[in-house]
Amino acid sequence: MNRVTRRQFIGRATVGLAGILAYRAPPAFAQKREVTMLGWSHFVPESDAKLKQLLEKFSREANVGARSDHVPNVQLASKQATEVQTNAGHDLMMFYNEQTWRYRDHLVDLDDVVGELNKKYGTDIYPFCKDAFLINGHWKALESIWPAVPGNYLQSKFRQVGEGPPDTWADLLRAGKKLKKIGHPVGIQISHCLDANTTFWSMAWCFGAKVTEADGKTIAINSPKMAEVVEFYKELYADAMEPEVLSWDDAGNNRCLNAGKCAWIHNPVSPYAAAKDKKLPVADDINHHSTPAGPAGRFFAPPARGYGIWKFSKNIEPAKDLLRFLFREDNLNEWIQAGAGFNHPMWRYWEKHPVWNTDPKLRLLPAEGVFGRMRGWPAQPSDVFGVIDDLYILPDMVAKAIGGMSTKDAMAWATDQVKRILATTR
Amino acid sequence: MSLASSSRPKSREGGLLLPAARLTLWRELSQVLHRESVLGYLLVLPAVLLLVGLVAYPFIIALWLSLTDALVGRGGSFVGFGNYLTLFMEDDIFRQTLRNSIVFTTSAVAIKTVLGLSLALLLAQDLRLKRLIRGAVLLPWVIPTALSTLGWLWMFDSLYSVINWTLLRLGLIEKGLQWLGTPHLAMIAVITVNVWRGLPFYAITLLAGLMSINPELYEAAETDGAGAWARFRHITLPLLRPVLAVVILFSTILTFADFNIVYVLTRGGPVNSTHLFATFAYQVGLQAGKIGEGSAIALFMFPVLAVIVYMQLHYARREI
Repeated sequence: MNRVTRRQFIGRATVGLAGILAYRAPPAFAQKREVTMLGWSHFVPESDAKLKQLLEKFSREANVGARSDHVPNVQLASKQATEVQTNAGHDLMMFYNEQTWRYRDHLVDLDDVVGELNKKYGTDIYPFCKDAFLINGHWKALESIWPAVPGNYLQSKFRQVGEGPPDTWADLLRAGKKLKKIGHPVGIQISHCLDANTTFWSMAWCFGAKVTEADGKTIAINSPKMAEVVEFYKELYADAMEPEVLSWDDAGNNRCLNAGKCAWIHNPVSPYAAAKDKKLPVADDINHHSTPAGPAGRFFAPPARGYGIWKFSKNIEPAKDLLRFLFREDNLNEWIQAGAGFNHPMWRYWEKHPVWNTDPKLRLLPAEGVFGRMRGWPAQPSDVFGVIDDLYILPDMVAKAIGGMSTKDAMAWATDQVKRILATTR
Repeated sequence: MSLASSSRPKSREGGLLLPAARLTLWRELSQVLHRESVLGYLLVLPAVLLLVGLVAYPFIIALWLSLTDALVGRGGSFVGFGNYLTLFMEDDIFRQTLRNSIVFTTSAVAIKTVLGLSLALLLAQDLRLKRLIRGAVLLPWVIPTALSTLGWLWMFDSLYSVINWTLLRLGLIEKGLQWLGTPHLAMIAVITVNVWRGLPFYAITLLAGLMSINPELYEAAETDGAGAWARFRHITLPLLRPVLAVVILFSTILTFADFNIVYVLTRGGPVNSTHLFATFAYQVGLQAGKIGEGSAIALFMFPVLAVIVYMQLHYARREI
């Protein structure tokens, strides 16, 4: 046997390492192709567990590795920024709301994938999903989740105060005043979190208020309708809520409902799913009703999420194959089931899924889609509304008014902030 | 034995004779390496490369970005000091962040200085289980900040706050305080956690300073009838001043740049009342994608901090 001397070993290793560094790729025998994706840590953990199982199944079927990493929702934006700045990271990235618009130039068109899926599921797609992900005629992300945001309430507490599930925001205020007196307030975040933005947009539209006109450039905050919204928030906060809503993160209202303290929250159905999963007694008491309406109608702002493929990805085709696989009927069926009513795809075809029909408490959810609008509506979605959300301008406007600033001044403050955003966001 | 001479008998390695040219080159290289002026620079080179790669390069990039209107992933154009001026003149969230940072840093550093010095004096005493206590004091410093702050998050939680529970049981309050939902209480909460976290650094560093003071000075002062306060004022404090200056310098910089505590506890809320430069820069630059403006926020305090660093180091050097 030929002995390799120390000097020969060092020499060969150096040459090999130099080769790897020069070509920036490991030798063929060491390569294992792997498609990677980054998403949020789902509020219903079973959904992420199912995704992991599906990825393992994909690896077996396609002979390509697949991995999904998860971070808390609030960290997704910074991960996207880091990956796009460095042109490195995961192949597939989760985007929500206007984020796809922000990164549209860095994302691969998914028209072929959506086209194939449309053949199976039809083209009856919720308009807000098209607004979010169909950009300048091209699908930039494939929607995976839009959760309905119904009223989540404790039936026993509403019965106790002689109220039924509130159909309108005015009904909620009336019931909330009684509920707070018995120690079971309403819980709506007015803080730096996603839910605070979601409820604000929903409520504003119901009152006929808007942030900009349909042109997306003319600021419309300073209006009697918006003043009504802020005044309503102030009254709701003073008479039906506790100051804790100013400190909550996205899970704050879930915890409050599942602790049996809050009698009503505006949220996807994750508290119910978590209560059932943990066998909390409160699960029997929780029920859902349609998102409240207002004088201008019934609207809500679904936090729609989807996966896009970075242009810098070296695995564009395998990543597309992975999307095709995840959205294949048998797999998507399992994924929706695991989401316990949280995961709604963009095709109305899936309104017939049993997850929404077997449990009467979830039956209303698919029909909620018709009330959904993208943030910024009636304007077209754009980066501007993403930045408004990311800087929490709208909840802060409400919080300032609650904190003692006049409604007029709070609206003027928000108008200034939006003006700056419009001037500096392209 | 020199490297050159040691390599001579080993000219046959791996069964092959080293070519004469290579041997000569090796000898020359060894001679060059024997010069301290060359070897010194070579030994320092890795550290310089690290500093250039990990500190200087990111700093210059951040400086450049702060002078542009760059958005994440889209580049931008040069706007000079436009970002700085707009932030200072027009953005009231930024001005609030500036006020928050000053309140947060001055309060936290002042409290840490007083408590840290007290703790160091206590630890310098000949206590039982002295080593164990000194080790335990370091715990808040050793635990990862994000992890320990999560513990504090639960202690300040609106529903499950153990602090509220205790205050209620003691009859000191009638209903739970909204620690993280009320602007002033939220600021107190983040300062409290910062003090808790930073105190060990003060205590242990000042303790090391105390240990270095010659005990004979105290003995002499005692003989002359000096009391505890006089000994502290005329011996401990003057001799500890250089260490104290360096500790306060480091602490001021670290406290100004704090991110984890505010991010985990309040994310800058309520109504931006706890935003610090780092958290606001993160929100604007990375979350909202306005990376040019975010860089300007992050670098805004750099000149001020640079002056503080210069003054304190100058002072410490003069004292030493």
